[in-house]
Amino acid sequence: MPESTPSKADKPKRAIEVLRERHGGMSKELKEYFNEQQKIYKALRAALKNGPRTVPELAKDCNLPAPAVMWHLMALRRYGQVLDGPEENGYLLYTLPRA
Amino acid sequence: MADIRDRYDALVIGGGIAGMQAALDLGEQGFEVLLVERTPSIGGVMVGLNKVFPTLDCSSCICTPRMAESAHHPRIRLQTYTEVRQVEPVGTGFRVELECKPRYLNEDTCIGCDECELACPIEVPHEFDYGLGARRAIYIPHGNAIPQKAVLDLEHCIFCGKCEKVCPTSCIDFTAEAKQVRVDVGTVIVATGLEILPMDKKPEYGGMLPNVMSPLAMERIQSSNGPYGRVLRPADGKIPRSIAYIQCAGSRDRSIGVPYCSRVCCMYALKQALLLRHYIHGVEVALYYMDIRAFGKGYEQFYRRAVAEGVNVIKGKVARVTQADNFDLILRVELLDEGGRVDEHRYDLVVLSQGLIAAWHPDGVIDIEDADDGFIHTPEIKLNPSFTTMPGVFVGGVAAGPKDIPDAIVEAGEAAMAAANYLKRYRWRSSKPVAAVA
Repeated sequence: MPESTPSKADKPKRAIEVLRERHGGMSKELKEYFNEQQKIYKALRAALKNGPRTVPELAKDCNLPAPAVMWHLMALRRYGQVLDGPEENGYLLYTLPRA
Repeated sequence: MADIRDRYDALVIGGGIAGMQAALDLGEQGFEVLLVERTPSIGGVMVGLNKVFPTLDCSSCICTPRMAESAHHPRIRLQTYTEVRQVEPVGTGFRVELECKPRYLNEDTCIGCDECELACPIEVPHEFDYGLGARRAIYIPHGNAIPQKAVLDLEHCIFCGKCEKVCPTSCIDFTAEAKQVRVDVGTVIVATGLEILPMDKKPEYGGMLPNVMSPLAMERIQSSNGPYGRVLRPADGKIPRSIAYIQCAGSRDRSIGVPYCSRVCCMYALKQALLLRHYIHGVEVALYYMDIRAFGKGYEQFYRRAVAEGVNVIKGKVARVTQADNFDLILRVELLDEGGRVDEHRYDLVVLSQGLIAAWHPDGVIDIEDADDGFIHTPEIKLNPSFTTMPGVFVGGVAAGPKDIPDAIVEAGEAAMAAANYLKRYRWRSSKPVAAVA
């Protein structure tokens, strides 16, 4: 008689699952924050596909407040997902790195 | 890393420049020191500064060797990300309760490669950049951090497990928990440093507007490893063409509970203003002051240099900062050298020269007193400036009151000497003395 395959419930839990359970998972606020952040990144990347943009231009293209665009753009820049370029009318132009 | 021993000669609370200096001075004299820092890296405020006055040395370049020396000293045990919960006198020494917070990884096997940080999908405001830049939920505190070990900020973790998957040494340990540790020490040095007065203390100065900055945020913006890579304004990334400094924005003001002079604001503002003139060609920098206090060695010459290089110092009291539609700022100011004429000026960016306040208070942890100004009370200020209200507990650096880096180092050295004298007097030793061979 073949051994029965262990059910999902019998499988040992991964450490991350233990941690998630211990802390009750992601809070509602963090989930909203994360989803909003992903939406902003998507909008910024889409706008930058059309060419270099300054922060006020991106704010207009994405219909977002300039301070929020600045913060998220700098977060992308920090991790190499956006590059800063030359100056135009007192602002820097930002681009997507070459794939 | 070896476990914390149960007995040391001295506990130093705070791993900023003063705490490191005190620990090194005691270590060099042969004492065994436990240096405890509550954040994930030593270095304190100084390692995040751009340059120091009046020499304009790169701050992290002169701070990191001290950090490395403290971390590698054979008689200093460094314990980061740890809170001191209780210090109780026992005989002539002290029993100390520590809480070592979990980094959620094995510090011995973490190689600081950054792979976990690169894999983490969420960005949150980075404390090291005063919120202007981003870090991830798992991160290495900064490029000069010691130890170069990652730390997981559970509050912002989305529990995706990506960090664990990419770690080349499998050091991530999600099951880690805080550890309570008890240690006996012969003496304690408090070197818990400073904070800047909160930006919302004087709403009329617009401290919560995006282009009104704290001086520490400006330090990060000016730093080559800062959040923007160059000087830009936070609201919209504009390269500022005009910048105003408001002096005594958070000092010498009874209405906000800071009646004292913070001693460093004139000099850090002059330094930042001068550097802005270097970094942005043709930028207009105005510094509104009550009176310039350039009291230290070489400071008056530095003030003259800043003025000579185009920093516009204006004796005036700013009444209000408001924001225009395009994030520009309008300063309403009483010009004291023009008979009190009230004027309005428009600037791209404003820096509030906020005063210094104590970063830590001993209530409930150790039975020493704060003074009226919120810093640690030093009852023998003239002849024994590092003595607190409890024998065997000493204070060094800004924990005892506002001061600049050289004064903090001098005072920390004095605290170490007083602590060494105390240990000698009561013949406290954490270990058997090594036999001398003639």
